[in-house]
Amino acid sequence: MSNLELYKNAYVESFEIEMDIVETLEYQSIAEWDSVGHMLLMSTLEEKFDIMLEMDDIIDFSGFDRGKEILLNYDVKI
Amino acid sequence: MLLKNKLAFITGSNRGIGFSILEKFASNGCNIIAHSRTNNIDFTKKLKTLEKKYNVRIKNINFDILDSELMKSEVYKIFKEKIPIDILVNSAGIIHGGLFQMSPIKDIRKVFDVNFFGLIELTQMMSKYMTRFKNGNIINISSVAGLDLSTGNCAYGTSKAAVIAFSKTLSSELSSYGIRVNVVAPSLTNTDMAFSKEASKERELLLNSNKPFERMANPSEISDAVFFLASENSKFINGQVLRVDGGNKF
Repeated sequence: MSNLELYKNAYVESFEIEMDIVETLEYQSIAEWDSVGHMLLMSTLEEKFDIMLEMDDIIDFSGFDRGKEILLNYDVKI
Repeated sequence: MLLKNKLAFITGSNRGIGFSILEKFASNGCNIIAHSRTNNIDFTKKLKTLEKKYNVRIKNINFDILDSELMKSEVYKIFKEKIPIDILVNSAGIIHGGLFQMSPIKDIRKVFDVNFFGLIELTQMMSKYMTRFKNGNIINISSVAGLDLSTGNCAYGTSKAAVIAFSKTLSSELSSYGIRVNVVAPSLTNTDMAFSKEASKERELLLNSNKPFERMANPSEISDAVFFLASENSKFINGQVLRVDGGNKF
């Protein structure tokens, strides 16, 4: 599975949503991506990419595209 | 065997209440990540004995609660194994006694760094890891000093009060992920810490009493309470403080 697929699946699994809306997502743009969902997403990403996100990055993780940029800091290229 | 095949992370597990919790958990089939500040041959031998006696796995992990970077790297090694940690017991702590006006701020700060900030830093990492598995149980060891806040508790008592306040808000936040958070608040317990000069006044009072409950707690009486909160017998108890003090208030 490619990193992009892993990344998208993290959203699908964390928020229990359909794959086709994933790329448009921003924090709090859907009910599922609230603060509780956010931490679920962070822990899912940590598990999938075997990383430990820094607190600043967790706070800064504001959407699908921004998330890709942040993961680059952990040598995860989407 | 109420904790059979569970995995617990216990801080400050090499002595006192922490070691008693470790023994209690191991005797109930729990595998353990046993934290201690430093590596110690005697402790390692004790762990081997317990492993054999109870047929459990115990891994010793060493870091100073004040060393944020080392804590992070050691804990991350455990996370890499991707094994769910079912229970976190935050037992590490230091004591301090003295009137506020005679307590240097650096001493008060150190007490908070160990008893509170170290605890919350580790809990932040652990709770995020537990979120992956949507399951977890966190038990923080506070003290009756954190509830009663009597004279001489400007540092120790207030740091333990902070642990209680933190635990209550955390229990509310983490319940969404199936993680419980509770507190055990022991009175003076018969450990090395009770024989420090800071605890001398209360210790003397208890040692000189003839009343059955006016005595120091035994470490096993505290670990019994922790064990209860760690087990499924308390599965609907969340955000509570369990006072274990024989009913004494000084």
